[in-house]
Amino acid sequence: MKLLSVQKLHKSFAGKTILSSVSFDLEAHKTLAVLGKSGCGKTTLLKMIAGLLDGSGEIQLNGNYVHTLPPQQRGIVYLYQEALLFPHLNVFENIAFGLRLRKMPEPALREKVDNMLEDLGLTTQARKMPTQLSGGQKQRVAFGRALIIEPRLLLLDEPFGNLDVETRANMQDFFKKMAQQQQITAMLVTHDLKEAVRMGDQLGYLDAGNLHIFDHLRDFIADPRTGMLAESAFWQSIQDAV
Amino acid sequence: MKKALLYSICALFALPFAYLALLSLATQWFYPALLPDGLTFVHWTGLHAGFFSALAYSGMLALTIGILSTLAGFLSAQYIAWHPWRRWALVLAYLPYAFSPVIYAHCIKFFFLVSNLAGQVTGVMLAQFILCYPFAFLLFFRHFDANLRAMEDLSATLGASRTATFFRVLLPVSKDALRLCFAQTFLISWFDYGLSSVIGLGQVRTLTVLTYQYIGEANTYLAAVTACMVCFPPLLLLWLNQRFVFRSETLQSETA
Repeated sequence: MKLLSVQKLHKSFAGKTILSSVSFDLEAHKTLAVLGKSGCGKTTLLKMIAGLLDGSGEIQLNGNYVHTLPPQQRGIVYLYQEALLFPHLNVFENIAFGLRLRKMPEPALREKVDNMLEDLGLTTQARKMPTQLSGGQKQRVAFGRALIIEPRLLLLDEPFGNLDVETRANMQDFFKKMAQQQQITAMLVTHDLKEAVRMGDQLGYLDAGNLHIFDHLRDFIADPRTGMLAESAFWQSIQDAV
Repeated sequence: MKKALLYSICALFALPFAYLALLSLATQWFYPALLPDGLTFVHWTGLHAGFFSALAYSGMLALTIGILSTLAGFLSAQYIAWHPWRRWALVLAYLPYAFSPVIYAHCIKFFFLVSNLAGQVTGVMLAQFILCYPFAFLLFFRHFDANLRAMEDLSATLGASRTATFFRVLLPVSKDALRLCFAQTFLISWFDYGLSSVIGLGQVRTLTVLTYQYIGEANTYLAAVTACMVCFPPLLLLWLNQRFVFRSETLQSETA
């Protein structure tokens, strides 16, 4: 079932085209990973879908047009590279932020946040302030804060870019597990080839404002722009040398 | 050695205040005596209504300017920080600091005379606001950086309206900056002499104006009393800032 449908999204800044008539569909409960070099318009694409940037084109979510709605009414959460935890709130209150906005009754809110903390493996950190957490823990809280309000679509803008290699791999596994468990529909942009392949059910490549969605992984591998061939040739040459 | 240096710096800092306090309590104190002949409270107990009215004017002006400048600076910086014309706003905000306050006061005096605001409390208030508001704007302009903008956007995608984002995110996150800005603008107004005397035409007698008047009259002891009162709120604010702002910063860096 199609959850997100983007049609002819166009954006230009100071006469320079950033996105040129981008169109694609995304199935429900799937993750679309979009690969692209820095400055190719990945963030612009996500921000337009989230409603944080103006532009032309149409966006449908579950068959309803949402491109005219403000960000708070779209049911789309946009996650940044930084966890951006609210510094004045502890872990529990950061996660509860969206529920408090929705005026959820206190007992139900506590139960829901406690369950989320358990899923995140952060039960013992509930009373800690953001400055007392590690990078990986912060990112987990950011995920929890987004997932707890059950968004229709989750947009991830290089969410693990600031983490070290090991924490990054752990967070990717964690996201895959949560996405499966909570039936999340997500769109992820990254410049990390491995991350895109590892996390995406569907793969795309954004170049000079044009988005190309690949039907199969083999098409993605075969396309020289993605760098997949060069990468595997590199590792093959290392292996041959050894 | 470190402690001795610290105590010396503290003593240097405290010396002028101690001297003022002693002078305000002196019966007579003439050069080259190191200490006054005797101590008395007569200068403090014999204060006339003019002193209390000056204290009230200074307090009212500083409080109003502190609150208005902080609020206006915060709100306008939030709006302008990401506006395409922000560079122009920044240039305009620096303009009042191109001159010293006294020269600046003489430059704008004509407009206050024409609009009948010279010699009025509202005139002095407006002149001080014109000086303090850009200060508050500049302080908050730097505060509304890309990180805070991203936090605002994130809050919106989590479902918060503009009002909810303002009260639940922006205000609490900006608490220290707001406190600092209020303290600074309060002090600018409290210590102001140039604008108060030039725009106030001597009719708006704030504590600083009164202090200079006593100095002009060679009334050293009463000048010391009013100077003590001029120094008291800044010392209180310094102590409060040290207690709340610096302590919270230290806590944050310790836990990071």
